[in-house]
Amino acid sequence: MSDPRDDVISVGALAAEGTHSAGDPPAGIRRVPSGVDGLTTEHLIINMGPQHPSTHGVLRLLIEVDGEEVLAAETSLGYLHRGIEKLAESRKYHQLGTLMDRGDYVSGMHGEQAAALATEKLLEVTVPDKARYIRTLVAELTRLASHLVWYGTFGLDTGAMGQFLYAVRDREVLLDILEEISGQRMMFNYIRPGGVVADLPVGIEKKILDFLTDFDVHLEEHHALLGGNEIFQMRVKGIGTISREMALAFALSGANLRATGVGFDVRRDRPYDAYPDLDFDVPVGSTGDAWDRYMVRMEEMRQSVRMVRQCIEGMPEGDFTAKVPKVIRPAEGEVYASVESSRGETGVHLVSDGSPEPYRYHYRGPSLFACQVLEEILPGHLLADVVMMIGSLDIMLGEADR
Amino acid sequence: MLPDATAVSHILTAAGVSNAVVATETLGVVCRLEAASVLRALEALRDGELDFRVLLDFLGADTGEEIEVTYHLRSLTRDEELFIKATVAYDGELRSVWNIYASALMPERETAELLGLSLVGHPNPKRLLTTDGVEPLLRKSVPIRTVEEVRNR
Repeated sequence: MSDPRDDVISVGALAAEGTHSAGDPPAGIRRVPSGVDGLTTEHLIINMGPQHPSTHGVLRLLIEVDGEEVLAAETSLGYLHRGIEKLAESRKYHQLGTLMDRGDYVSGMHGEQAAALATEKLLEVTVPDKARYIRTLVAELTRLASHLVWYGTFGLDTGAMGQFLYAVRDREVLLDILEEISGQRMMFNYIRPGGVVADLPVGIEKKILDFLTDFDVHLEEHHALLGGNEIFQMRVKGIGTISREMALAFALSGANLRATGVGFDVRRDRPYDAYPDLDFDVPVGSTGDAWDRYMVRMEEMRQSVRMVRQCIEGMPEGDFTAKVPKVIRPAEGEVYASVESSRGETGVHLVSDGSPEPYRYHYRGPSLFACQVLEEILPGHLLADVVMMIGSLDIMLGEADR
Repeated sequence: MLPDATAVSHILTAAGVSNAVVATETLGVVCRLEAASVLRALEALRDGELDFRVLLDFLGADTGEEIEVTYHLRSLTRDEELFIKATVAYDGELRSVWNIYASALMPERETAELLGLSLVGHPNPKRLLTTDGVEPLLRKSVPIRTVEEVRNR
């Protein structure tokens, strides 16, 4: 009995037969069925977004592909443009935080903090110690909440599902804590020029510490669940590599910059609020690929936990706000103040003409610069890796579109 | 944090940029120069000993008479920051500096569109945030609608 596999004609044999002239097709058939030319394919332009679950908001990408390989990419922004900078010119100084909440809407505290720091620089007001500590505390809690969103959705981009549910479980507790502190879950409007709007509620320290006790375990579980997954590692390692020169040329900041090995952190190198008093490490990567960005952000969460504990332990007594006039009229001048937000350096460039409203209000969002580097790193990768590179850069479109 | 003002003006003079004024203001060290010499100045500052390798931000502002553009430079090796300022007329041209600093690509598009300047020397000088026909929103001459105007629209 012969082996049935012997009957299988090898591909080479088929190709050899194809070299003979096939002749004219029989009547009723219009063309020679010679198959598809697999070598020269047509370039296709794929329009991804703005309504796409993996674009993390309303990013629109135009991707030119040859088969599955990306040849060129263009990021198209503006689908969430609300004119924040123009609106700020008709707002009072203490209302700027409200606008910044709607910029980077996943880590609102950092935007508020940047706006408040810039206003305080113009006013030359000294913030009480307690206010500095409260601000740092809520900023680090917001960073944890924001990084958890990134962690969950980055996993979704690679095709994993479970970690998103666990990340949202922890974020829910964090948002409850932030709601108790500020009265809102995401649009906090809590940090104001001179301090914060209200003192910490009674008993919130215990809630935060209880959460951290759980989160110490949960964070390592998160890391084991996604980072310990071999499929995930194979998909993100070596993807979206950003060299040090490229990161500097595109002015990347935050974890995207530190993953390339450049150790610049606004909290350490341009210290503000309570960060000079805190003990924390700035994690850096080496190769600058998506895996390094993942590892840097996971380590940042561990450092945030450390900082929250230090803030609660070292919380000073005193006022939660300095004496600031109801209508702020700073002297004429121009200042720049920046904070390390969850995504990188969020800086506020503020021009005052002495009136109660800013003359020019501009903020530097780190996501805009991450959107630019996308156009540079996407070509050469496979189409399936595009969503992972977007996810690894942690882009927030509300901030880039203003 | 603050670079040496004389070192900055020395580099600029060596690069052939005349009448640049370097001063320390509330913003930091600010260097004001003519729009025509911005490219030469930025190239000299990037490659010079002060090592301003990063263009952190680019923005424009309507001063009421003309548009003032600001380049925010940062040197990571020396940990210093410098602001370059130049003015462009309302109907003037904004020359792209993307060959020197790639991070200017999108901020330049945004500034040109929101302040009504024409962008030259840019590889993709399209609008960034708004659609065709929208007036330059950040000009002071473009008003914001009041609540009554929106209601009676």
